[in-house]
Amino acid sequence: MATNPMHQFNVYRIGPEIKIGEIDISFTNASLFMVLSSLAILVLFNIGTKRNYLIPNKIQLLAELSYSFISKMISDTAGSKAKPYFAFIFSLFMFVLFCNMFGMIPYSFTVTSHIIVTFMLASFIFIGVTIIGFIKHGVGYLKLFVPSGVPIVLLPLIVVIEVISYLSRPVSLSVRLFANMMAGHTMMKVFGGFVISLGIVGGWLPLSFSVALTGLEILVAFLQAYVFAILTCIYLNDALNLHH
Amino acid sequence: MPKDQFKTRLEIAKNKILKKSKVSKDSPSSKLGIAFKISTEMVAAVVVGTIIGFILDNWFGTKPWLILIFFFVGVVAGILNVFRSAKSIQNK
Repeated sequence: MATNPMHQFNVYRIGPEIKIGEIDISFTNASLFMVLSSLAILVLFNIGTKRNYLIPNKIQLLAELSYSFISKMISDTAGSKAKPYFAFIFSLFMFVLFCNMFGMIPYSFTVTSHIIVTFMLASFIFIGVTIIGFIKHGVGYLKLFVPSGVPIVLLPLIVVIEVISYLSRPVSLSVRLFANMMAGHTMMKVFGGFVISLGIVGGWLPLSFSVALTGLEILVAFLQAYVFAILTCIYLNDALNLHH
Repeated sequence: MPKDQFKTRLEIAKNKILKKSKVSKDSPSSKLGIAFKISTEMVAAVVVGTIIGFILDNWFGTKPWLILIFFFVGVVAGILNVFRSAKSIQNK
């Protein structure tokens, strides 16, 4: 059982079974790691912003660096109009990053390797951005689906294509994060299994591969959180500034 | 005198911000981000198109036809998505 590379993705219940009607809302290992990463973020930023030294210590530096990183990213991709949404994008980035990074600890559980989690995040963004677009532009937001300069004969086809392209946003956003995390962790587990089965004679090659993969996975964990946040900014930019 | 000083300092700070926003556009991490974006863009549009076709088929009872049409429309939408992402790299 332990050698099964997909075994690490099992969700199991911790503690008592809680049910509301038909819905099972028991506390699972997935919920545990979500709580852990949220708590870690809270603790880090509470300590980091408690005392503002002129010369920051390490934790304060980390908090300030991540703040300015996200702030720069938002102003680069979505402009100054997107400033009010800073808090949302910042917490989104931090949550995804910490979930990914917690998954890198051996024997832990990667929350973002489950498509339902990433799809929930992505559809929340999608619905939110659509509502913002309609609030800012009213019915004019539908102009997003009608590119200018299209002959009237082609218009029905183009609108259908544009609508599908718009609806594919949450799917591509969630599938990207989920697939990257799941593929990476499965690959690490498979190479780990090779080390055991090849033993002390031949196990060195997969072991070195495993080390390299761990480094790669840490890069991917950061990069996917970054991509998730930057795409949110790009979608927000479309909703706020409305141009194709 | 202090007012003048403030103005020049403001000017310098504004120039700095302008310069920064110009330089930061082609940072390597944002390019890598767009590369990752393209990889799933195509698949997602095809999947969404097919699902819409499937749902509409069940609604109207035109079993195989709408799913076929929407599959190809999804492919077109995917190509459009990839094309747009590639164009946004070029503009930078």
